[in-house]
Amino acid sequence: MTDITEHLAPHAVERLKGLRAQGSHEGIFTSDLSVNEFVMVRKAGFEPLGLVVGSCIYHMGIQYGQWSQNMEMDVLSQAMYQARELAMSRMEQEAILLRADGIVGVRLEVKRMEWDQEILEFMAIGTAIAHRDGQEGFKGVGGKPFTSDLSGQDFWMLLQAGYRPMEMVMGSCVYHVAHQGFMKSMGNLGRNTELEPFTQAMYDARELAMERMQHEAQDAQADGITGVNLHEGSHNWQPHVIEFFAVGTAVKAMEHANDLVDALSPQLVIPVND
Amino acid sequence: MSIWDKLSQGLGQALHGLAPASPSQEALARQESWTRALDGKTLPDFVQRRLQETAAGRLPWLTTATPAELLLQKSHGIRPLGFVSGNCWYHFGYSWTQGHIDGWHGALERLRSEAYLMGANAVVDVQMRVRKGESDDMDYAVSGTAIRIDSLPESGNPLVATVSAVEFVRLLEGGMVPVGVAIGAYYDWYQPPYGRAQGERSWWNQELTDVSAFQQQVRRRALYALGEDGQRQGGSVLAHTQFTHMARQEGDSENPERFLCRHIAIGTVIDHDRRVAPGIPARPVYSLRQSLLTASSHQKRPLV
Repeated sequence: MTDITEHLAPHAVERLKGLRAQGSHEGIFTSDLSVNEFVMVRKAGFEPLGLVVGSCIYHMGIQYGQWSQNMEMDVLSQAMYQARELAMSRMEQEAILLRADGIVGVRLEVKRMEWDQEILEFMAIGTAIAHRDGQEGFKGVGGKPFTSDLSGQDFWMLLQAGYRPMEMVMGSCVYHVAHQGFMKSMGNLGRNTELEPFTQAMYDARELAMERMQHEAQDAQADGITGVNLHEGSHNWQPHVIEFFAVGTAVKAMEHANDLVDALSPQLVIPVND
Repeated sequence: MSIWDKLSQGLGQALHGLAPASPSQEALARQESWTRALDGKTLPDFVQRRLQETAAGRLPWLTTATPAELLLQKSHGIRPLGFVSGNCWYHFGYSWTQGHIDGWHGALERLRSEAYLMGANAVVDVQMRVRKGESDDMDYAVSGTAIRIDSLPESGNPLVATVSAVEFVRLLEGGMVPVGVAIGAYYDWYQPPYGRAQGERSWWNQELTDVSAFQQQVRRRALYALGEDGQRQGGSVLAHTQFTHMARQEGDSENPERFLCRHIAIGTVIDHDRRVAPGIPARPVYSLRQSLLTASSHQKRPLV
């Protein structure tokens, strides 16, 4: 049996003995990182500065799709883009005020307001961080703090792999999927068959969202996008109107990235406890 | 026994069950002890006795840890003392938001006092739950495992951590001490200057700038209160729960339309020295655990 107190910092032992109720007030922050994320962000050489939040309550314009036509609902696409952009930029402003190098663990949430179907709330929330020793070279596009939806653990792993995050990039497309005509529906009765217009609509909408996200990454001079996630959602619109939302973290290789990767030897493990 | 006798006996038992039962003298005395103890911000004698006897080893210990966790605790010189809890059923008189702060703090103080009576250094694996009451009230409950580190004397102010005992130790070894739980909440009303929020009834894409700004302000004040509560306990806060609620109150001929926004954040307070890097070793590991066929997304939707 080991005596853990031999390995503990003096302030930790004092806390456990109940001798100290107050810590140092220096560098006190709030964050929504989990404990594991917090440890790994610190392990990566960064310190959390504070929770940063940006929000936007947005009234969606009105647009109707043609009944039998596959088409992008550009008014709604623009609204989803603009509102998210406003929330993100407000969050970034808070990070700039904290002199952060970047924001990790960013979550983008959309919620419909209960009193009006046309009003949506967009919220971007994350933890602003800065390098512990003030090392430079981690800022994002245009010297602004980088943004990333990667967790604290993934952030550590990304740096270990020789990449740094540049910007959280996204692509959105709100699409109207055409309805089937009566004759077509009748023709499909009792048959197993692909509904090609529906397939095509989903393909096209997804493709537009991915293209837009990739374009954003290109603008950010990134080498690639990691942790890509594709969400499908309908924010209480008509059943045939759907949003494809692609999001990920644009990353850029650091100097000596290959050496870093060579030094890294991930171990494969098979857990036996479940 | 005839069928008639069986029926009449069953009916008698059923009627007996319908009659209001009276508590025994012992139960009444117990309730009286609870009332006195809660009024005096202490614990009833029988609870104190049970906790102290459990801590002294005269009663079996209790823990929320799994057998694997228990083994790790043992190897680190950590001893589970017992299961401790606290709750506070709270009525919201003037403020639902402030009620959350008071309710949680009340429950946490009771949890801490149970741990103190057991001579614990910390309470780990703390679970928080709420139960909604019938009207403007709610029960706030916390529970966890009181632990003792063998090489340390008992604490006058046990720490409260929402992580398991093993994670607790890992954090301590990394120079980070989970200290307690912080709560921040704020609410406010907003009345648009012209009776209606700007852009609320438009036909085009438009931000409701005044409502956005109002909500942002409420959220900031709540997070500021969270930070202050953490600072009071001498640490930074890792917020794990956040809740925003916004509602519109319809206007009428006498009262204009107005908006209510409330925000509550709850987090774990961590004391650490930011100048020192954590000493926890880490290495990349890829787990080959078999999982169900799931969609490759964060939501993990089952595919079949």
